[in-house]
Amino acid sequence: MRHILYRLKDRYHLGTPVFQRDDLCFVTVKRFELRAILTELRDVEGFTHLTLLTAVDWIEEQQFQLTYMVNNRVANLTLALRVMLDREDATGDTIHDLWPTAATYQRELREMFGITFPGSPRVDEEFILEGWTDLPPYRRDFDTLAYSQQTYNDRPGRVTHDPKTHMQKTLYADYPKGAK
Amino acid sequence: MSLRDVLSPFTAWKHVINDPVTIKDPFNRPGADRYRGFHQNDMDKCIGCGSCEEICQNAAIDMVPVEGQEAGPGDSGLRPMIDYGRCCWCALCVDVCMTGSLTMSNEYTWVDSDPDAFRFVPGVDGKSWDLEPKGYQREDTRRLTGTTRAPMGELAPEDRIGNFCEIVDGFTPEQAVIEADRCVECGLCVATCPAHMDIPDYIAKVRDGDFEGGLQLLYETNPFSQACGRICTHKCETTCAAMHEGDAIAIRWLKRAITDSVDKDRYFDLIQKPDVPETGQSVAVIGAGPAGLTTAFDLARKGHKVVVFEALDKPGGMMRYGIPEYRLPYDVLDHEISVIEAMGVEIRCNMRVGHEISMEQLAKAYDAVVLSIGLHQGRSTRVPGSDKAEAAIDLLRRITAGVEVPVPEQVAVIGGGNVAMDIARSMARLQKIKYGRVGVTVTALEDLDRFLADREEIEEAQEEGCVIYPARGPQEIVLDGETVMGLRTWKVQAIFDDQGRFAPKYDEADEMIHPAGMVVEAIGQMADISLLGEALTEKLEWNRGRIMIDSTGQTSEPWLWAAGDAVSGPDVIHAVADGHRVAVSVGKMLAAKREKVQ
Ligand SMILES: Cc1cc2nc3c(=O)[nH]c(=O)nc-3n(C[C@H](O)[C@H](O)[C@H](O)COP(=O)(O)OP(=O)(O)OC[C@H]3O[C@@H](n4cnc5c(N)ncnc54)[C@H](O)[C@@H]3O)c2cc1C
Ligand code: SF4
Ligand code: SF4
Repeated sequence: MRHILYRLKDRYHLGTPVFQRDDLCFVTVKRFELRAILTELRDVEGFTHLTLLTAVDWIEEQQFQLTYMVNNRVANLTLALRVMLDREDATGDTIHDLWPTAATYQRELREMFGITFPGSPRVDEEFILEGWTDLPPYRRDFDTLAYSQQTYNDRPGRVTHDPKTHMQKTLYADYPKGAK
Repeated sequence: MSLRDVLSPFTAWKHVINDPVTIKDPFNRPGADRYRGFHQNDMDKCIGCGSCEEICQNAAIDMVPVEGQEAGPGDSGLRPMIDYGRCCWCALCVDVCMTGSLTMSNEYTWVDSDPDAFRFVPGVDGKSWDLEPKGYQREDTRRLTGTTRAPMGELAPEDRIGNFCEIVDGFTPEQAVIEADRCVECGLCVATCPAHMDIPDYIAKVRDGDFEGGLQLLYETNPFSQACGRICTHKCETTCAAMHEGDAIAIRWLKRAITDSVDKDRYFDLIQKPDVPETGQSVAVIGAGPAGLTTAFDLARKGHKVVVFEALDKPGGMMRYGIPEYRLPYDVLDHEISVIEAMGVEIRCNMRVGHEISMEQLAKAYDAVVLSIGLHQGRSTRVPGSDKAEAAIDLLRRITAGVEVPVPEQVAVIGGGNVAMDIARSMARLQKIKYGRVGVTVTALEDLDRFLADREEIEEAQEEGCVIYPARGPQEIVLDGETVMGLRTWKVQAIFDDQGRFAPKYDEADEMIHPAGMVVEAIGQMADISLLGEALTEKLEWNRGRIMIDSTGQTSEPWLWAAGDAVSGPDVIHAVADGHRVAVSVGKMLAAKREKVQ
């Protein structure tokens, strides 16, 4: 794996590689070099399989992180490339021409994170969320609790109790609370 | 098209004799080992803190009372009920659970025509998967809430032993914010605090950096927050939800951080007397300790005239004359009391009721009288020679008052409680200043792990050079004429008899003489009730040597209330709680009296 990284390092900008295992490594690359590196990994280094394409919302840094995980089955090596995108301009470069399955991942990312991939087949079509009108739900600023409370009814008969108040009622109901 | 493409469909036939990889019975297929299925909850571990409810992003959890679980110290008695119509199986509740009681089985298939069947209390409503060991459990290394307390700086033993400087630094505001961030705001601790302070609320103020708002909250329940932030017995921390899988939240230090962070002058702007009409009624309070002054604070804020009569030179009671300066500096106490005085409370020092003024005079001149005289008489061992012993609280009082006390090179202390540690450590300081070395022995009946003193008090005393002899019973104070030479002790075999009565048994063969120029008795205090006078003593109802009071603090006399150590105790925060209770009760009586007059 290290040799592959050495070979890439000569020609591309690579971040510091993080080895989770000997056969599993994460490395950050530049967006404009991503397609070139992926193509080289696929065609020259034997990473023929796209294991996954996923995203993380680093809202504090105002960035999305895309992770492209590719696998060399023969050598049993997995390499994950990370690309950082500006959260305000959430646009990635499609790789469906390298791996057709990427189109599905990209459609999912479009729906869940609002990251778009121009040119990717059917990328703007609904994927699993039908009629979704809210913020993309995997964005960290999406308020899951508020959404579920607005969207779903409670079953009738639900009541909850606040631990502090419940203890006050059962354990020290007579105590006059302070100078209030 | 290559030859391989043509042949490959046929090569698949070679698998025809292999075992199928599909599952034969798809209906009874077990979930994966770490599958997130229906919950399990260990009823012995769950404390009903509601953190699971709080974190749930689908509002699927309700905290409900259940049979067999009662509210008690550190346990709300509530348990989570889960609505599986809403649960999305994310396991955040398992990840946040403060005790690790909540887990998930790998069972996820269940059919029922009644939708309400899918709302139940795991661990209470029995299910077939309750004992299933497989399923999702939080990985031990991953915690959503911090498990370790922010570190607290303090003076090293060699830096503190030669002086009475405050030992504990207190959190910086930054450290306080970090510590406050660990609190899950469950409120379990509130029930344990005798004054039921709004702990999670003021911790939230710290976390938000709003120390002034925090101070106002503190004053709603405790006008001695500066003192309590330093010396409170902090029993709240023994029931904190965070202690189950980490350090309890440093509630006491966070309280102190609030009081330290607000500028002293700002207190008078933030804590103002409410704009209420004067009632024209007046209350006499006897004793300016935390019980009396809390009563006075509350009653003055309700528009009554309050006069506090204090026997000693300065107000504060045992907080000033008992607790040593290195734990509670005098300027802190002075400032705290000045806030109370700003409410219009008048404190008359050097006014010992029973000497300068009598109970009868007070009863006549005031609408109500509150007795909060504390425990200011030391108990004696009554062993031979004990009339030559010093009482710990007398010595501590004299040290505070700046009166010169004898400081022999060797001192023996009898007692294993906090008062014993306070006098041992105070004498050790005086010895260090006078001789450059410490010579204090502490003897107590109990084994070291049963000492009544706090662990940290014992450890700090030892760090400072005090030598502790556990399980030693005092037999005699050895005298040479009038001069104290030492303390003779026997080894304790048992402190109580079969019926649990106090009846120490000794091994007389195991005798020790602890050389000492002074022997100090620190085995307890009692109230000096001579101020009452014969007639009132006779008239009042008593309960095993203590004045009897009802749940509001009223004695059997309609004009007299009692609060604090003298009737309950044992610490400052209980005295504060008593003060509030009595103020409400007195206030009710005064209101009734006003109505009658109108
Ligand atoms: C050495 C020592 C260390 C302690 N350490 C701690 C600690 O770390 N944390 C903690 O929470 N608690 C501690 N305590 C206990 C705590 O100080 C008391 O529980 C608390 O002060 C009780 O308050 P109080 O108002 O009832 O009585 P006190 O504080 O005792 O106040 C009573 C006041 O009444 C006055 N008085 C008595 N008789 C008369 C009279 N006839 N006329 C006028 N005035 C009178 C006294 O002079 C005194 O000022 C300690 C106690 C001692 C002795
Ligand atoms: S978080 Fe854990 S301990 Fe707290 S109520 Fe929920 S299950 Fe019980
Ligand atoms: S201090 Fe502990 S018990 Fe109190 S609210 Fe915070 S976490 Fe809960």
